[in-house]
Amino acid sequence: MSVPVNASVSATMNDRIVFEDVSKFYGEILGVNRVNLSIPPGITSLVGPNGSGKTTLMNLMTGLVRPTRGRVEVLGYKTDDPEHLFAILGYSTQFDAFPKGLTGYQFIYSYLRLAGRDAQTAEQMAWRVIERVNLVDAAKRNIAGYSKGMRQRIRLAQALAHDPKVLVLDEPLNGLDPLARSEMIALFRAAAAQGCYVIISSHILHEVDVISDQVILLSNGYVVAEGQIATVRGEIQEHPTQILIRCTRPRELAAKMLEDEHTIEVTIHKDEKGVLLKTRDADGFYLALNQLATNGIDVESIAPADDDVLSVYEYLIGNEEVVR
Amino acid sequence: MTSQVTTSTRSGMTRLWWAQIDAVIRLELKKTFFAKRGLWIYLVAALPVFLFMAFAMATSGRQHQSANVARRGEKMLTYQDLLAVKPGMTREEVVAILGKPPVNFHWAENRPLGPGVTANLLRENYHYSDGQNDLFVGLLDGKVESVNIDNGNNLGQDSIMFAGVFQFFFLRLAIFFGCLGIFMNLFRGEILDRSLHFYFLAPVRREVLMVGKFLAGLLATCTIFVVSELLQTAAFLWHFSPSAREVYLYHNHGLEHAAVYVGVTILACVGYGAFFLVAGMLFRNPILPAAAILIWEAINPFLPGILKQFSVIYYLKSLCPVEIPSPPGTPPLFALLISNTDPVSAPVAVVGIVMVALIALYASSVQVRRMEINYTTE
Repeated sequence: MSVPVNASVSATMNDRIVFEDVSKFYGEILGVNRVNLSIPPGITSLVGPNGSGKTTLMNLMTGLVRPTRGRVEVLGYKTDDPEHLFAILGYSTQFDAFPKGLTGYQFIYSYLRLAGRDAQTAEQMAWRVIERVNLVDAAKRNIAGYSKGMRQRIRLAQALAHDPKVLVLDEPLNGLDPLARSEMIALFRAAAAQGCYVIISSHILHEVDVISDQVILLSNGYVVAEGQIATVRGEIQEHPTQILIRCTRPRELAAKMLEDEHTIEVTIHKDEKGVLLKTRDADGFYLALNQLATNGIDVESIAPADDDVLSVYEYLIGNEEVVR
Repeated sequence: MTSQVTTSTRSGMTRLWWAQIDAVIRLELKKTFFAKRGLWIYLVAALPVFLFMAFAMATSGRQHQSANVARRGEKMLTYQDLLAVKPGMTREEVVAILGKPPVNFHWAENRPLGPGVTANLLRENYHYSDGQNDLFVGLLDGKVESVNIDNGNNLGQDSIMFAGVFQFFFLRLAIFFGCLGIFMNLFRGEILDRSLHFYFLAPVRREVLMVGKFLAGLLATCTIFVVSELLQTAAFLWHFSPSAREVYLYHNHGLEHAAVYVGVTILACVGYGAFFLVAGMLFRNPILPAAAILIWEAINPFLPGILKQFSVIYYLKSLCPVEIPSPPGTPPLFALLISNTDPVSAPVAVVGIVMVALIALYASSVQVRRMEINYTTE
């Protein structure tokens, strides 16, 4: 038995997660303000310090809180329609409490029964997802005795249990050991590769950098930037692009670069095996570099040095409360 | 074609909702029956059972004593013999009717007659019995001064006592507070435990969730209080002889009364359950709504007719099978509380209580749709 999926889908925007001028206030306290987003499939990370509005955004997306103003739709479903919304969406929250007295297996099984699955299907699906999060050995134990990492995994299992198209995961890697982290990241990637929408909140920037297709940067309840990291980086005009060039004769190359009109600043890398350059016109510079490199300098590699989430985050928000 | 599809979708949805309600009930029943915070409800439900058991034991002990007194008497007495003794009779007349008393206490009393003058009077207490009913005769100087008959097995009187305990303790306190403990915790308890999101993250209509929780609470309270009611009836009838029990149950509406009490118990759980379900969603502190509803129910006899109808006890009182008479000399205020001055017919009472419950459930369904998960503000 499953919920018919055609009931409340609007004709438009049924392939995006859409926030339209959304604000949420908790009394006098601002949760998020004037958020406009259109989230495509793939892995999207919500990045921001504590209190920036990541969890509020996720709770709005899943209907756990209602917007004070504006409209949220997930693939065309309204968020006040949990019957249809959660048929396509799984949410792993940060709430670390579970119904009392349940084992890990019973937790997942009960969830699937609530979702309307018959006993046999629910049992099969429960074991399958428990296996996916590598919790088979502990499945018959009471959740109250689980470690933090195990509780995190069983929450992930709940979110994944009914094979949702949209996965909303609030700090999903918290409490996991390095091996489990890489397993989970692989799992998110696989889901994204299958066309799922994976929304992850994290303040561990190097992980966000590794897994995200796009990011949404939040600060004090406002969306500061959104999109693919490189695109976002390109739009930050006040900070010139940094490019690291690995080459055989860095000092010579640095001298030549200074003559180029695109160059703002050049420094020799600490290991003396490369040049770090700042430019406001990366594309123009790349064209010019072809000519510079023909003059007997072997260029081993050219890579942007500050188009990662960490740099973008620091440029836009500052370096408060981030974990590198 | 379209209408066929619509009908099939509708029946599919209904099947899905029932499956979801079943899942909610299974989860909730476990919590409701075995929650530590609900243990006191079992105690409250068991209190009247203990009361009737204690009463049955005391009555049983007294019956043995009466039988013993009757055996020791000179004559086999009947109830009519006991009634024949009147104040003013002489000792000899009493003995002529009832024989020598099997139990007899006497003592001398000095009574002042005037300054420096006292009279030495003989006081006697006789105790007779026909095996079930006891007669206590007080004599002063050979003349009957007082006559008290203690009826042993009086099902009529005992059933009024049962009705009193049912209406004034079981309905108004035990079921009331039991429903408060169970139904208010269905949502409020989960908010306090920070586990309500488990349900809100499932593809379940909030109204379906609410109905599932209500039915789980109803199943739990009905089980606890109907079992209590049946045990009370068993304890109440325990000390009667099998023949007296048979007469009461099959020829004197006893079985019918027991069934009505069970029905009233279930309806009380429906009515109070619906009230406390919505109260649990609206209020953080259960004391406030509990006090408000308790006062509302208590002042029901003094309310105008239209307001009376928005009360559970108003309908329940009308359904109770035994009318409780006000003892002579009861102050008018208390007499109003005891008596049912404005009863409604049974069908109207049942429909009324169901309507009141439906109104409360409708309010719950509106409220549950509005609920947000924001544990930090709780």
